[in-house]
Amino acid sequence: MTCTVEVDNVSKSYDAGKDASVPALRGLSMSADVGEFVVLVGPSGCGKSTLLNIIAGLDEPDIGTVALDGDTRTDRVGKSAYMHQLDLLLPWRTVLGNATLGLELAGTNRSAANAGATKLAERFGIADFLHHHPRSLSGGMRQRVALLRAVLPERRILLLDEPFKALDAITRSELQLWLSDVLDRSNRATVMVTHDVEEALMLGDRVLVLSQRPGRVVLEVDVEIERPRPEDVVTHPGFVDLKWQIMSALRSDAAVAR
Amino acid sequence: MVMSAAGAQDVSAPINTADASDASHTGLGQRMTRAVRVFFENWGFAMLLAACGFAAWEIAVRVWSVPDWLLPPVSQILVEWWEKKGWLLSHGFVTAQEIIIGFLITGAFGLTLATVMFWSRILERSIYPFLIASQTIPVFTLAPMLIIWAGTGIAPKVIIIVLFTIFPITISLATGFRSVDADMVAMFRTLGASRAQMFTKLYLPSALPYLFAGLKVAAVVSVIGAVIGEWIGAGSGLGFVIKNAGARNQTETAFAAIFTLSAMAAIMFLLIVAVQARTLRNYPGGSGN
Repeated sequence: MTCTVEVDNVSKSYDAGKDASVPALRGLSMSADVGEFVVLVGPSGCGKSTLLNIIAGLDEPDIGTVALDGDTRTDRVGKSAYMHQLDLLLPWRTVLGNATLGLELAGTNRSAANAGATKLAERFGIADFLHHHPRSLSGGMRQRVALLRAVLPERRILLLDEPFKALDAITRSELQLWLSDVLDRSNRATVMVTHDVEEALMLGDRVLVLSQRPGRVVLEVDVEIERPRPEDVVTHPGFVDLKWQIMSALRSDAAVAR
Repeated sequence: MVMSAAGAQDVSAPINTADASDASHTGLGQRMTRAVRVFFENWGFAMLLAACGFAAWEIAVRVWSVPDWLLPPVSQILVEWWEKKGWLLSHGFVTAQEIIIGFLITGAFGLTLATVMFWSRILERSIYPFLIASQTIPVFTLAPMLIIWAGTGIAPKVIIIVLFTIFPITISLATGFRSVDADMVAMFRTLGASRAQMFTKLYLPSALPYLFAGLKVAAVVSVIGAVIGEWIGAGSGLGFVIKNAGARNQTETAFAAIFTLSAMAAIMFLLIVAVQARTLRNYPGGSGN
């Protein structure tokens, strides 16, 4: 049986000037299926974003393969929705114009695109801002618009690259709760990378712990805490236990690396 | 983050301290008052400085009894301007026509060149040196040849204006295209954008602040270009007026024409600033003024 996203034994290095190269990933394997929310958690600079870029088709692995729905052809660009850590909203477009960008590029007619965006905007909590420009929105609101833009084209794969990194702590925890609530997992495979262990456990069905650079998976845990997970889930014994396991894995890996 | 637009935040105009975004919700009278206030906030000090300079000029010329043919007092130039305003403005109209036609040609030509440079690295490398070379041409020495080739009509003036303005316009656009954020490009790719879509929906709008910076420079140098063209060979235009008046020691007429030219350049500049403020009102950095 084939998974929606299947990363097999992927390695990737980057040129670092004269005859030097920095290994970003080494022999990393992971998979994510429709209906799953998989979180990769690891230290800064462990190649997390590199992995998402490779899945999205923006970059190619040196070794290893990536299969989307069992298809290993290299042209993966445009197959998955990608949400960056920065909102990357176009300042000259309104919230509605930004949200419907993906549909517009795909050739969907404007009224259908607007109708789709307006319908989801209610659930995303941005219905009142559809005709505002990004400059008048807070960071949290802007990230909501960015997510709406990413999910509107209804791709089967959603990649989230530390989507709340640029936000303050309060807004971040608010948006974590919001995301687990708003995101319909049933029809898509979601892969998120983060360095925040609590965020990983709050949102993920499965958490993969990555090593220091070059990144590979050192621990995999299933998060069997039922949803919805309220804010105080962080005090849940199962949550605390998993957090401890992950922290230990990260710490012993860091010790080995040193 | 997206567009710091260092090149676009030029120093050619004072900072606009007022935000005109909510103007649409107020009455016409209020809007006018607001516009006047904003104008004086931006330009009041410069106007004050100009007034002081003119006063000093007037006093100095009168105190030291400088002869009129050497340097007439400002008041006399203004009187001269008032008496000949119809004649001066008709010549100004000729110059303005040359500038507007030159500007339109440069706009179309510069946009084409910048677009070609965006689409093809090879063409970019081929064109770029010639753009720079065009700036090293001492246009003044080229002018006599232009008159032989293109006559004494409007054509040689327009050619000179295009030569003067093609560089700031094309380079600012090309710089704008190059300054587009790599993350933005990646975002467009993941949304499945074609290269043409990327150009019209990302690169062009991103380059607008740079284009306006180039337009402001071009507005000023285009006036100089027109005058050079008229200086060399023309039967009308403000450059022609200045040259003739100078040759006949009619210094106050020459100055009246120079004042008209400066006013024209200032009006063009302010028009561009106004269009810029409106176009870029949602860009980071507000109006980009």
